[in-house]
Amino acid sequence: MTALARRAFQPGELRRRAAAGDVKLWASLLILVWAAVFMIWQGLGFAISIGSVFAIWAILAVSLNLVVGYAGLLSVGHIGFFGIGAYAAAILTSNASYEQLRTEAIPTFAWPFFAALPVSIALVGVAAVVVGVVLNRFRDDIYVLVSFGFAIIAFNVFLNGRGLTRGAFGVHQIARPAIGGWELTGELEFLILLLVFLALTVAVSWLIVTSSFGRVLTAIREDEQAIEVFGYRATHYKLAIWVISAMLAGLAGALFASWTSFIDPNSFILLESVLLVSIVILGGLASIWGSLLGAMAFVLLEEGMRFLPFLPAEYVGQARQAVLGILLVLLMLFRPQGLVGRYRL
Amino acid sequence: MTTARSSVSPTRGLRRWQGRQTQLLAGALAAAAAAYVAWKIGQSPDQALQFTLNGLAVGAVYALLAMGFTLVYSTVWFFDLYYGAAAALGAYGVFYLRSHDFLGGQYAVNSPVVNTVFALVAAGVSGWVLHVVLYRRVRTRANPTVLLSLVGALAAGVGVYTGLLLANPEQLHVMLSPVVGVLVMAAAAVLLRRGMRRVSARADAWPLRALALAVAAAAGAAAGFLLAGAPDASLYLSWGVSCVLAGCVGLALYRGLYVYVRARATSPLIMLVASLGILLTISAFIVIVFRSAPRPLPEALGGSPWSVAGAAIKGFNVFAIGLALAGFAALWLLVKKTAFGKAVRAIGDDEEVSKVVGIDTTVVIAVVFFIGAVYAAVAGILTGHDTAIQPRMGLLLLMKGWIASVIGGLGNINGALIGGFALGLIEQFGIWDLAGEWKDVVAFVALIVFLSFWPKGLLARK
Amino acid sequence: MSGGDGSGGSDDVRVDLPLEEIGLSKHFHSWENLYTGQDGLALETIGVSKSFGAVKAVDRLTLAIPRKGMTSIVGPNGSGKSTLMNLLSGTLPLDGGLVVIDEVGLKVVKPYETPQHGLTRTFQEVRLFDQISVWDNIMVVLTERRPFAALLERSKPGHRQKARGILQSVGLWEKRDVMAQELSYGQRKLLEIGRAMALDVDTYLFDEPFAGLFPQMLERVKDLMKQIRDSGRTIVFVSHNMDIVRELSNRIIVLDSGQLLAEGDVEPVLGRPEVIEAYLGA
Repeated sequence: MTALARRAFQPGELRRRAAAGDVKLWASLLILVWAAVFMIWQGLGFAISIGSVFAIWAILAVSLNLVVGYAGLLSVGHIGFFGIGAYAAAILTSNASYEQLRTEAIPTFAWPFFAALPVSIALVGVAAVVVGVVLNRFRDDIYVLVSFGFAIIAFNVFLNGRGLTRGAFGVHQIARPAIGGWELTGELEFLILLLVFLALTVAVSWLIVTSSFGRVLTAIREDEQAIEVFGYRATHYKLAIWVISAMLAGLAGALFASWTSFIDPNSFILLESVLLVSIVILGGLASIWGSLLGAMAFVLLEEGMRFLPFLPAEYVGQARQAVLGILLVLLMLFRPQGLVGRYRL
Repeated sequence: MTTARSSVSPTRGLRRWQGRQTQLLAGALAAAAAAYVAWKIGQSPDQALQFTLNGLAVGAVYALLAMGFTLVYSTVWFFDLYYGAAAALGAYGVFYLRSHDFLGGQYAVNSPVVNTVFALVAAGVSGWVLHVVLYRRVRTRANPTVLLSLVGALAAGVGVYTGLLLANPEQLHVMLSPVVGVLVMAAAAVLLRRGMRRVSARADAWPLRALALAVAAAAGAAAGFLLAGAPDASLYLSWGVSCVLAGCVGLALYRGLYVYVRARATSPLIMLVASLGILLTISAFIVIVFRSAPRPLPEALGGSPWSVAGAAIKGFNVFAIGLALAGFAALWLLVKKTAFGKAVRAIGDDEEVSKVVGIDTTVVIAVVFFIGAVYAAVAGILTGHDTAIQPRMGLLLLMKGWIASVIGGLGNINGALIGGFALGLIEQFGIWDLAGEWKDVVAFVALIVFLSFWPKGLLARK
Repeated sequence: MSGGDGSGGSDDVRVDLPLEEIGLSKHFHSWENLYTGQDGLALETIGVSKSFGAVKAVDRLTLAIPRKGMTSIVGPNGSGKSTLMNLLSGTLPLDGGLVVIDEVGLKVVKPYETPQHGLTRTFQEVRLFDQISVWDNIMVVLTERRPFAALLERSKPGHRQKARGILQSVGLWEKRDVMAQELSYGQRKLLEIGRAMALDVDTYLFDEPFAGLFPQMLERVKDLMKQIRDSGRTIVFVSHNMDIVRELSNRIIVLDSGQLLAEGDVEPVLGRPEVIEAYLGA
């Protein structure tokens, strides 16, 4: 690992790789340049508004990559944890008085954000243990199916558990974080907070995947039975990374709830989960940098399409989805490890 | 040393007892479920009957989905998510063809782009079919250039015809009448010849042959003319067109794309992700063409609901159940009784060996994809008429078909039928004390219970 | 595991054994007559069975493998050799019977506990961790077992040194940064043996370590195995190559149709008529 890194930073290495048509390098360059062009063209305000979207998707993608790329568990249910985190933070911090709204009433806690955050993450962790124990029984195709099931069950709970989530009415007036007496109401301030948490997520993920634990995970991904013979309990490892990954997704959820200040079940539909998996695969499996790139490409794709003259604005989301679908097919055909990935499904 | 290691007790973790406990638990669960159902029936027999009828009606759709799904899965051994898109395509196809003549045409859609795309698909598929059929028959006798241009011309003709058909859905019954006429004629001719052969040893004499041909032609012409004067038949014709188009897309996807991905794929998950990409793309286009709001389909097979001992069931639902049984019978005959079915099973057992013994696996699998997509489309249409159509129906129906086939036993057609109806009944009885909106949750909980206690499903693949 | 050894857990092991149930009475006369070897037994199976559908791959098999030296398991194709290896290492669950590893009786062999009992293995079809580097393939078996402790562990100099030693001894040090899937078949086989060697245990199970190797590689594998043997460990290996079996092993077990055909010293066993018949006849 270290030897590889050392070689990568030798003088001339980058030029040699670029000349050799290294897909990883060119893909990274392309997306970074694309992002930079957008920034310069559209200005800072634009950067701030899409930066927040990017940061949330990036936290989600990095956390999901821990499970999909490193542990080899193709989970399509990650949006469920995102949703649980979002709803927990929303309900705990919302200061709307629901009795007056005459729709479904839920209790008002009005906690400060930084008090609700650890509680939300812990709740997600508990949910993840339960779901993980069930999911650990399955593998491959059936694993995908049951993880779909988790996403659908979670969505139905958000939509129909009205006593808890107010169903389709959604949760209002979710608090913005406050540090001391300083409330982060501005977009720029919130973006900085998001980036701090993204950096934290990346750091934690990097520590995990470069530790002995991370190495064992990759071995589990390759051959679970073989690594068990050497004394590792694969189920424990899989559960541990599952819970960690879910908690990071919960963190993203809590941040998302606070960022939008209003959430309803439509943010947590199955399709979002499928898009998230696509981002992770597009960027690259078993690569943290890949997930960042994937999230960046995903956000830029949507923003880029807004400027296509022949595409009506209301179809941008769909067009992005279609392009992503086609990209997935092409990747599976030509590059199953994603743009900068290190693991082929 | 020894003492330290002896901490592992020899009687620890008795697998056999674990096995027995699992069985006991599974038995207890089954008993509890039965007791719950019995209690519910005792409480309110009328309602129980109503829920059963509803369950069978939904179950028919699930059974159709599961049959097609399991057929495809047990042939290629990966989960093809296009299957969900096929269900949505089927339902939206009917809407597309009928949107102008109900609800005052307020949601009428007709897009040249869509027409062109499907014309191309139809041209491609018919070209492929002609090539496969003709290449075998006449390749030694015919000039390849002539053959190819003939195939190309015919395929282009089919494409243009399909495009025109889609562009003029009001004239569906007129435009399809020659096709239906020819089909009826062919069927009549085949049946007559067979019947005559059975009756008379001299059936091959030319006057008899001419007579048979004339009768068949007359029947075909009559059918065609009848149809051309019956605009009411358009809805049912649109079912057929929609199913065939969804099937063609399935076939084209396999032949044009999956073959190449499979040749490179190292695991079934790659295929799953590739088909996920297809599903995403098709769903996106459905939203672009039809918008995301739910749409109704026109009333089919109307009439007042039938009353059965205090419970009611729509005629349409009875039709759906009948269709599921007919679909099962057809598939069963196809898989168990024909040479094609034998080839399908052989490929499911071992594709490489099948190739070696001379089965054209690509052709057989492509046809399997066609059939699978048609079953999905039928299920989608039935669902659409029963409730409404919306873009995400594809994904949900896919899940239901997937669950039903797992419950029934993956790769087993009988299991798919049983699994489909079982899932329908479980859903309906599950939401008795909850509310209807929880039925997806009930379905997935049922799936997890089944996977935990009967991991191979009700009927395991033999 | 002799009958005279009354202390410790070994008697407990036997107390609750329903002999008839596991089909032992057919083979078994008295504990005193059991073969124990000079240094005791590394491995034992008592009435072990495994079926796949209607096929009895291993049928109420009772055998003993002594500590130290090399024991070979031979038999015609489909005689249950590999199944036996999988049962001993817990890769397959037992249908019935008891596996005794280093004097601990186990009705269920949990694969992740076998190293604690002092056992590790290689697989018949080489099973490496394909999409990680050769280096990581060795490192991964050296590190911390407990998940949460492993989370905090970075690679240690001791581990690195050991991995380096192993890679050098199997001759793959130059290839350490290559992905395991890019190695040649022989190199993969060597790496798998190296991976097993990385684990400090008493007993090594090698499933067909010589299959499909060129002579040069074959010598290398033989040397590695001798090296392990000379350090006082036990090796059990499956092989079809009778020359190597004769050369290396000091005890042989012959299986046929999932049952024990013969066990004992190599030459006498290979000279027995039923063994010759099993190989040449049928």
